[in-house]
Amino acid sequence: MSEQMTLGSMTELLKPWTVASRPVSDTRLEVETTAANIVPAVGALKTAQWGFLSAITGLDNSAAVKADSGTAAASGAAPAHNGGGFEVLYHFCRGPSVLTFRVKLPREAPTVPTLSAVVPSALIYEKELAETFGVTIEGIPDRRRQFLSDDWPTNLYPMRKDFSPGSAEGLAQAAPVAVAEERRGTLGTFIVPIGPQHPALKEPGHFELTVDGETVTHAAIRLGYVHRGIEKGAEDRSWIHNIYLMERICGICSHIHSTAYVLGVEKLAGTAVPPRAQAIRTIFAEMERVHSHLLWLGVAAHEAGFDTLFMYSWRDRETIMDLLEEISGNRVNYSVNLLGGVKYDIDAKGTDSLRRGMDFLEKRTRHYLKIVTNDESFLRRTRGVGNITFEQANLLGTVGPTARASGVSRDLRVEAPYLAYADFPVKTVLDTRCDLEARFIVRINELFESYRLIRAILEKLPPGDLAVASPRRVPAGEVISRVEAPRGELFYFIRSGGGVKPDRVKVRTPSLCNWAAVLSVAVGHKLADIPMIMVGIDPCFSCNDRSITVRRRGSDERWTWEELRRYGISYYGGDA
Amino acid sequence: MNVVLAIVAMILFPGGLFVIVGSLAYEYVDRKLVARFQNRVGPRWFQPLADLVKLLVKEEIVPAGVNRGLFIWLPVAALAAAFTAALYIPMAGFPPTWGYRGDLVVTVYLLMMMTLCIGLAGANTTDRFSIVGSTRALTQLFSYEAPFLLALLGPAIAAGTWRISEVNGYARENMWMIVTQPLGFLVALIGLMGKLELPPFDAPEAETEIVSGALTEYSGRGLAFFRLGRDVELLVGLTLISAFYLGGLANPLQFVLKTIGLLFITAALQSLFARLRIDQTVGLWWRAGAVLALVQLLILIGLKSLGVHL
Amino acid sequence: MLNDVFASLFKRPFTELYPYATHPAPARLRGKLLWEESKCKACMLCVRDCPARAIEIEVADRAARKYVFHYHIDRCIYCAQCVASCKENALSMSSELYHLASTDKKTFTEVYRGVGEGACVEEAALDGDAP
Repeated sequence: MSEQMTLGSMTELLKPWTVASRPVSDTRLEVETTAANIVPAVGALKTAQWGFLSAITGLDNSAAVKADSGTAAASGAAPAHNGGGFEVLYHFCRGPSVLTFRVKLPREAPTVPTLSAVVPSALIYEKELAETFGVTIEGIPDRRRQFLSDDWPTNLYPMRKDFSPGSAEGLAQAAPVAVAEERRGTLGTFIVPIGPQHPALKEPGHFELTVDGETVTHAAIRLGYVHRGIEKGAEDRSWIHNIYLMERICGICSHIHSTAYVLGVEKLAGTAVPPRAQAIRTIFAEMERVHSHLLWLGVAAHEAGFDTLFMYSWRDRETIMDLLEEISGNRVNYSVNLLGGVKYDIDAKGTDSLRRGMDFLEKRTRHYLKIVTNDESFLRRTRGVGNITFEQANLLGTVGPTARASGVSRDLRVEAPYLAYADFPVKTVLDTRCDLEARFIVRINELFESYRLIRAILEKLPPGDLAVASPRRVPAGEVISRVEAPRGELFYFIRSGGGVKPDRVKVRTPSLCNWAAVLSVAVGHKLADIPMIMVGIDPCFSCNDRSITVRRRGSDERWTWEELRRYGISYYGGDA
Repeated sequence: MNVVLAIVAMILFPGGLFVIVGSLAYEYVDRKLVARFQNRVGPRWFQPLADLVKLLVKEEIVPAGVNRGLFIWLPVAALAAAFTAALYIPMAGFPPTWGYRGDLVVTVYLLMMMTLCIGLAGANTTDRFSIVGSTRALTQLFSYEAPFLLALLGPAIAAGTWRISEVNGYARENMWMIVTQPLGFLVALIGLMGKLELPPFDAPEAETEIVSGALTEYSGRGLAFFRLGRDVELLVGLTLISAFYLGGLANPLQFVLKTIGLLFITAALQSLFARLRIDQTVGLWWRAGAVLALVQLLILIGLKSLGVHL
Repeated sequence: MLNDVFASLFKRPFTELYPYATHPAPARLRGKLLWEESKCKACMLCVRDCPARAIEIEVADRAARKYVFHYHIDRCIYCAQCVASCKENALSMSSELYHLASTDKKTFTEVYRGVGEGACVEEAALDGDAP
């Protein structure tokens, strides 16, 4: 069934709740609906088992009122904005297709009902929307702050266009949200007010685990510890500046972030990127994947107390970092992308180094695969632990290797090929065992796929230019750019108002999708398994310290991540 | 005993200074070996000394709500116990400074003091996590201590004495007991690694590591003493096991070779595994560890009663 | 695993004993920015495109093409966008000058001042630039 047909049938299905329906492109459909109708509409989608909720974008149209002077809209452009109000976009993805529900809201008291009853993973996105835009989410089960710190003033919403960093000064700080009260009755335990102070004094962010003896009975999460306001910052920087801003969202996913961004902008601007540039971008993306998976292997081994494997895998990771430095000039932020192409070419010497590097790494990776599947102590921590069933993975919207290890075949390189993946296809690596061991095996097998792909591209690197000129003013319009980061689907929504700066850049990173799965899976497991389960989804652990509240009957303890990690190791008889 | 000699023994050799220097040296060797196993460089020779000095010069913060006296004196007690244990063993191959019938039991008890002090220190602190750490440390203590003592008992029975110097002498004259009592050696070595919280033979008490667990609230001098105590225990434990199972220690050369050899094995074991496959470590140690040691003892007693000379 | 662990004992440690032993940086390393005045036309594209506002260009004499190039080493993020934006190839990133740490803030502003055609003189000496 072609995508157009599937989307077409969705149009039919959603007719009862549709205000206006608009096929934006072959793979994109926009359905405008009202706040009252969004829940039943999504419900219908869920019943038809179409797609998963990928992201929720908030838009503030007040600037658009000023900027709009009737500029011709490119394909995919938004229709006339609703005169300075808000819009909430719900993006559902299935393979290459994206179905976006558009809800227009008035400027005063914007309200939408919560989707979390129908789509559990919506909670994280709705909270983000509520905190940053000030949209009230009716019926939200949990009013704790997630991204903004507890002492951020109330009624101050950073993503609104009228907010500027100086406007927070002098405002009274909010008291910590007294959500503790809500839960006191239900659990009957003393609850420490959810606050980010903890002994190791790192970023505010924590997991809240309620345990009964050794078993976890409830898990909740608090993020926002490295919230840097990048989406807001992007609105204030030119299109070119933003390449480098997006690159710095993450250290291990830096290239894929900037790639998603430039692909989106190039689509808006109608730039035809030369094939050589796309191929080189692909090589870098795959090299980054290798780097990321090797890094993760070490980190996961460290979480399990297997420090020797950690040291070895990170030693071998130096190979890929040296290769990246050799070709691009930097080990971490490769800064390869330009709007319209790439900066660096891969010459004969680079090709030779890459080939030798891939050979070496492939040998080492086979070795690690053997260790991971044979070492008894390691298997004890991973086999049968952290099961995310196929249904759970589907329902909770997991992406990336986490989903693929549960048999959910989601890989954007295969479903919606971008860059050079159409010419150099990737095989989806699937595993149906659903446990932690499966996640290890999937990632290691993806390493082999990456080595193969890099070699294949080097073999047939298309000749031609490295870059073409790209306009400094990007035509008005909206674009969705989805790529496969090492952790899963990376979702960018970019809106241009026709100027030199973007109107809105929305970034939804893959780890955010996977937290819901972790939290639901955590319940029922032993406390000692939690570090491994969390590391199994490969969350961006660059800031490795989070505070964990362990709630036992009658008392709460506050641990650091490091303490939880060691607890897990020692529980299984190792030494941290 | 001659008072002057006694003071020299306590401060210079084999107690005090010698033990401090020796234990720091052994910590260095251990860390260096583990690093080399992991293809790293490892610390330089003065690193353990630097760590110790650094901790000693740092401010010691006594948290609110603790029993101040206990907080300050527990580390001292732990270190003192470790130092005292050093006086009873054939340190550096020389006969023990003191000895009397039953000093084996006293030494084992002194070695146990360290963990007891850590447990008490954790319980004393008002930090919730320290309490958990201390509970686990004490649980750990119970799981390793019994098999460890039983394993040390084996050679003592073979030698027919409770006195360490006599067991040492016996070991020197007869076949190495690692050959005649392999199970006992295994349990003793593993017990020592567990006691010292060396990977991978660790029970659920990783929290008693430096920055967490029972020692979370310790800083400065207190932490320095606990750490030094651990190192001294390493030295003392290695000496005991090599004296008993590796054919006795007759002179400094044998001492160095045998203890470093044992250290090599422990470092290798530290690097080889994630951790031993132990889920319910305590239960398992009570089952496997104690049983192995008992079996060894039974064999030993049986053989001895049959007149076989070991 | 066992073989690995014991073999490591005899292998040289992988750790590089920096700074006593260094290996040469790759040729494409993006180190300090270098400016060739003779090629520059002061079109200001680099100034505009720099994400970190690390470049400022003063025009001393446009007819004689004398400019002063202020480069903020501490703001630069070493992305090389300026190198790509410059149509005259006047900019490049050094692969040797990358020891840019310093205890003195003054050294973080590099002022390149041309003194005639083809010359590029570095005004401020960098203390922390010892290789």
